[in-house]
Amino acid sequence: MALPMRRTLVALHRAACNSVMHASGTLDARSPAPLFQPVRTKKRFFIPPAVGMKGKKENNPEAKARAAGIVFTQEIMERPINISCTAGILDPYIPPEGDARHTSLSKEGLKQRTEQIKQSAASQLAIRKIKEHDSTFTTKNFAERAQEIFIEAHNALTRFNKDKLHSLVTERCYPEMTRGNRYKTICWRFIESLEPPRVVHARCPDMVAKGNLYGQVTVRMHSRQTLAIYDRFGRLMMGSEEQPKDVLEYLVIERHLTNPYGQWRLHGKIVPSWAPAKDPVIKTVMIPGPELKPWQEFDDLNYEVPKPAAVQWYK
Amino acid sequence: MAAAVTGRGVAFIRGLSAGLYSRLQVLACGHQQLSCLHTSSSLESKNWERKNRKVYPPQLPDEPCRPAEIHHSRRQIKYSKDKMWYLAKMIRGMSIDGAIAQLEFIDKKGAKIIKEVLLEAQEMAVKNHNVEYKSNLYIAESFSGKGMYLKRIRYHGRGMFGIMDKVYCHYFVKLVEGSPPKVEQRTGYDQAKEYVQNLRNRTIIHSL
Repeated sequence: MALPMRRTLVALHRAACNSVMHASGTLDARSPAPLFQPVRTKKRFFIPPAVGMKGKKENNPEAKARAAGIVFTQEIMERPINISCTAGILDPYIPPEGDARHTSLSKEGLKQRTEQIKQSAASQLAIRKIKEHDSTFTTKNFAERAQEIFIEAHNALTRFNKDKLHSLVTERCYPEMTRGNRYKTICWRFIESLEPPRVVHARCPDMVAKGNLYGQVTVRMHSRQTLAIYDRFGRLMMGSEEQPKDVLEYLVIERHLTNPYGQWRLHGKIVPSWAPAKDPVIKTVMIPGPELKPWQEFDDLNYEVPKPAAVQWYK
Repeated sequence: MAAAVTGRGVAFIRGLSAGLYSRLQVLACGHQQLSCLHTSSSLESKNWERKNRKVYPPQLPDEPCRPAEIHHSRRQIKYSKDKMWYLAKMIRGMSIDGAIAQLEFIDKKGAKIIKEVLLEAQEMAVKNHNVEYKSNLYIAESFSGKGMYLKRIRYHGRGMFGIMDKVYCHYFVKLVEGSPPKVEQRTGYDQAKEYVQNLRNRTIIHSL
């Protein structure tokens, strides 16, 4: 299907000759016509792309615009950001070892209770500062409110109501709660609370400027919950629907105190170093083995899987 | 008489054009129902990758376990779709280990590319799609498609030219968890037996 190039060349030559004749014909002043008239050629349906590409000069549209007189206003690369939560938990609460193990009737339990009842001075100061900004703040009411916030936030996570979740949970906590959830289904149920929730710790840090106060209150709650996570295909990945678990949690609730429209929102959880290990996932997982030199062999029977160090971390 | 004829002719033409215009409008409005018109262009619709985003509801404990399906593809491979088809047809229905082993020793450009795609898909399956054992996968679907071609000129003698296509292809693969399904081996004798049986099953309809 080779198109004849010679015919186009001949046609072009003929067209050039015609145009030249036309130009010479219109030199007379009687009927002034343009010197070079365009001549109609055969319509080409396909023009090979390389023909026009040779010797293509680069246009400078910016210089042309400036020459034409068009002025662009300076676009400042700035964007105001609203910070409505702190980046982490400042001065975290260190839960005492064996917190929920002893009953309040035994001697160790009573000792723990007395320690917990007289809170440290810093917490009292912080609570006083919070009461300055929020007059309706009491430790008893607040603990129950904290539990309600927690339950509502997790229900919103189960149904995935993004707007409600953002109003109940701070911006720092939101990605931690929702990372990896997009292609999974989470079923969570709060069955009952085993002990009434209690405020154990409070701090009032400030960010960036001196007077910009945020209030962080730690609430301890002991409850029974069920959690089941299903993967993309509806197969159970972790947990179970029927088996409830007793959970001791230390929640951190935060509020931007200087903002009159600030809300108390869930900011994070403190996981103590003595917390029992979580249930394993249902499937078998491969873990990376030790690095071996070329002459070494891997000893299956004597190899111990290294356990991570027991550190308190918050999530 | 001639004037009357022309008048009626003009009215006829006007009616025709009106009908055409209304039909075109109906065509434009009812494009959702007509399946012969393409609504999404082939440039921006990556349907194969979108199949990985489908989330199924949680299964009840008495239902059979749903096998995991992983879709993967590679676009704009500098290879011919017809040559790629031979390799894609070969690995259909194989287990993933077997397919990778076979492709490693085939002397074709597409074999190396398909092997890379399979290894990528295997790693994706284990990391993102909750597949337990990376060898427990088999190739359910594997095919090649035409990519976007570039056009160049191929110069012939006597000022003639041809338009040369620089061919590109896409390669699509679907891995499913589990062991590969056993294909029943049909011998020539079985086929002949079935043919004779079909002949014997013929009856005369609408007879007494």
